[in-house]
Amino acid sequence: MREEKLEKLLNELADATTEPVHPHLAEDIKHQIPPQLSPHRGGMDTVNIIIDLRINKLTAAAAIIVTMILCASFFGSRSLEGDSIYQDSKLLIKYCLEGIDADRSNVLTAKSRYEYLAKRVKDIVYYGDSIDPKDDNAVLIQWKLSDGKYRVVFGDLREKTVSAEELIKLQARMLQKKAE
Amino acid sequence: MEYSEQRRDSLVARLRAGNRAAAAELVDIYYKQIYVFMRRLGHSCQVSEELTQESFLAAWQHIGQLRSEKALNGWIYRIAGNVSRLYWRRHKDSKAVSVGGIDVPDGSESGCDKTGHLEQLGRLKNAVIKLPVKLRQAVVLHYMQHLTIAEAAKAADVRQGTFKSRLNRALKILRSQISSEDGELL
Repeated sequence: MREEKLEKLLNELADATTEPVHPHLAEDIKHQIPPQLSPHRGGMDTVNIIIDLRINKLTAAAAIIVTMILCASFFGSRSLEGDSIYQDSKLLIKYCLEGIDADRSNVLTAKSRYEYLAKRVKDIVYYGDSIDPKDDNAVLIQWKLSDGKYRVVFGDLREKTVSAEELIKLQARMLQKKAE
Repeated sequence: MEYSEQRRDSLVARLRAGNRAAAAELVDIYYKQIYVFMRRLGHSCQVSEELTQESFLAAWQHIGQLRSEKALNGWIYRIAGNVSRLYWRRHKDSKAVSVGGIDVPDGSESGCDKTGHLEQLGRLKNAVIKLPVKLRQAVVLHYMQHLTIAEAAKAADVRQGTFKSRLNRALKILRSQISSEDGELL
């Protein structure tokens, strides 16, 4: 009986505390209805769940990418050799902390390319860890071709075939820039 | 507005198809309820208006999650409840404010009885606003927004058993508070 009286009072309280609503509220909300209501938002629910965990969008994106890399490794489409997962994750986290930086993005792309080529060609060298990522003309990767020339990937991801002399000049320029 | 089951089914089907007119209809049906829900949860008038708008914006984004015709009430209140919860998280220093005056329609009670009744309702209103957020939400959803236990549990994103337990705890607290102030056992 006591509980019933309290419940009755709560129901009465609800009826007694109804407030008038701002007359334009409904119209304001209707103006915000998007032109296209899409019931399917590919992948956004996953991102929203992660954002609900109170981490920012960039970190959420990094978490998703790292998970995808780990899944790819697990199912055998990517090698776990040479601690590449660890290096990729490290680069991704650094990339996220520093914000969106196109130069770092190039270095990341070049590293993936290097890992791919390393298994297929000999005499390949990767300079991505030591060069200035903002230097478009820095040599990121080099490897020797069968005709004695060298194939070079630059900081802006351009590719060029150069002679041994030209390669020495490019490397000398890099060393000089580093010394400065 | 009373809404027939048939029209509700049709509304949900049209919402799921991405129909804008259905979205506007949803606003007409629910905007007052969601505003009052926010007020009863302890948000100020201005914040309640903002949170009502936010709730509908979130609803447009999560229309894909609306799967069953019977789940409309639970779905919209769940979104509104989440919007309110996020607001409290972001504004930890904000204090809950109760809805303004109490307006009781004239009945058979004498002047003296009516004053006593109003005082009792006033005390209950203050006690509800002092409840912990989860318990307050349970009381508001079930007793004030008149959602069934199943709908309210879905809106609170908990099992029905957990929701009933919250309600019991809330009623116990309210009873003890009103009784101690009243000197009367409810």
